[in-house]
Amino acid sequence: MIVEDDKSIQKELEEYLQNAGYTVIILNDFEHAKEELLKANPDLILLDINLPKINGEILLKHIRKESNVPIIMVTSKVGELDEALSISYGADDYITKPYNPTILLLRIQNILKRVEHVKEVITYHDVTVNIGKGVLKKENEELQLTKNEMIIFLFLLNHQERIVTRDELMTELWDNHEYINDNALTVNISRLRSKLTEFGYPDVIQTRKGQGYILL
Amino acid sequence: MKLKRYLLDHILEILVFMVTLILMVLLLLPFSIPLYLIIMIIFLWILFFLIIFLGTYFKKAHFYRELEQNIQKLDQKYLVLEMVSTPTFYEGELFYEMLYEINKSMMENVKNYECSMQDFKEYIELWIHEVKLPISSLVLMCHNHKEYMNKSFIKQVKRLDQYMDQVLYYVRSENAEEDYLIKEVALHDIIQKVALKNKDDLLEKKIDFIVDIEDIYVLTDAKWLEFILNQIINNSIKYQKEENAYIEIKAKDEKDYIILTIKDNGIGIHKNDLPKVFQKTFTGENGRGEANSTGMGLYIVQKLCKKLGHKIEIQSVFGKYTCVQLTFAKHHFYKMDEEK
Repeated sequence: MIVEDDKSIQKELEEYLQNAGYTVIILNDFEHAKEELLKANPDLILLDINLPKINGEILLKHIRKESNVPIIMVTSKVGELDEALSISYGADDYITKPYNPTILLLRIQNILKRVEHVKEVITYHDVTVNIGKGVLKKENEELQLTKNEMIIFLFLLNHQERIVTRDELMTELWDNHEYINDNALTVNISRLRSKLTEFGYPDVIQTRKGQGYILL
Repeated sequence: MKLKRYLLDHILEILVFMVTLILMVLLLLPFSIPLYLIIMIIFLWILFFLIIFLGTYFKKAHFYRELEQNIQKLDQKYLVLEMVSTPTFYEGELFYEMLYEINKSMMENVKNYECSMQDFKEYIELWIHEVKLPISSLVLMCHNHKEYMNKSFIKQVKRLDQYMDQVLYYVRSENAEEDYLIKEVALHDIIQKVALKNKDDLLEKKIDFIVDIEDIYVLTDAKWLEFILNQIINNSIKYQKEENAYIEIKAKDEKDYIILTIKDNGIGIHKNDLPKVFQKTFTGENGRGEANSTGMGLYIVQKLCKKLGHKIEIQSVFGKYTCVQLTFAKHHFYKMDEEK
């Protein structure tokens, strides 16, 4: 759900998130923002601070009293104070405009993952993924992955339904403090491929020319 | 106030007095007044005159000397009127009142400027927040319509955003008001943000980004530091060499402070330019070659560092490397504040 008063951003953000596979609701009635938000019961709220009729931070405070829905504050205010205030009111994340849409998407995914994490064990075919140890497990076999390979594998796994661009992989890696270059990404992917082949899954990572990669 | 000068200033009065005295003695002489009486009169006359003359002199001298001394002691000299006692003689009172009036009107004037500066600053901040809306809209559009808006669009929009930030932080750094928040910040988190911001440029120009920082925390304002590092890294990217370029970021944890170094193997800075890089609108040998150098980046960075209490130093060998060093003090005072 998007709470944003700038029409142009509203429209573009809606399109962007829809392309990424999310259902988007837009709040139009700012006067009854709280009631509308609670009624819509969204999985996640993107909340702007500068809104007509109500301040986003106050709205955040009101919502927090009644709901635990994940909230990302999206704002053009650049200031440590605003951020500290939002976090103390219970925002899950804080992003300043103009944001990199890929990063926004990453943040949304991370938060949704955190919320769902409790019930989910990550599996791929008959392999279970142990992120903490950095290994893939199959019956009594174990495959050790490096940190980078794990990040790539997980990202591909979480987006199995579509093609993942190199840019997205790169952003994900950099977001995890792994500042690798283009060559290193290629090397990492081919190493991951050969490891998976040895593990009994040949050709599962496919290259789509000019678009990216997909995990089958 | 010097006695000699004062005497010279009042030479007329002294002369008139002398002449009257002589005339009086001459007038008295024809009458057969005893000599000792005349001497007595002369003596008394001179005595009274000296009492009055020196009395006024010391009164004035006292006031002016106090004023002078206080002016010398004060660094905000316009506050001097608060320090001196009101004079007890008429001229002095007038003088004092006039000074007071002048001071007051000056203060009002300064206040006016202050208010208009503040208004201007607030407007700029507001304006920047407003401009960020169309910019974010543009960024989203670029991502939504990749077919006909390619990466070069996004790059220009990003540049726009960076210049916008420069204005914002310039206004903030120039302002006396302190609108930052110092707390413990993880260095690697800020570097991650800056890295993501510059990711496309770094990858496109094939600059290796090497970060060797783990779990180091510094006391600073996260947003300001992000801007500072972004400026430094932007410079490194801008003045990079064609081949095997890298930017290396390291942090060293010393006993009382933390040193963050950002080193690149770019074109470096000329020896002559090095002491001047923090000056306002200084572009130097490198900047002149580059069309879009304003010479404002490092100036703002330096001002922000000063406000936050970080030390910033630049070392460079022309043609070899540039190395920026930021020193953060460890202050236990702030930490205790946070625990409350």
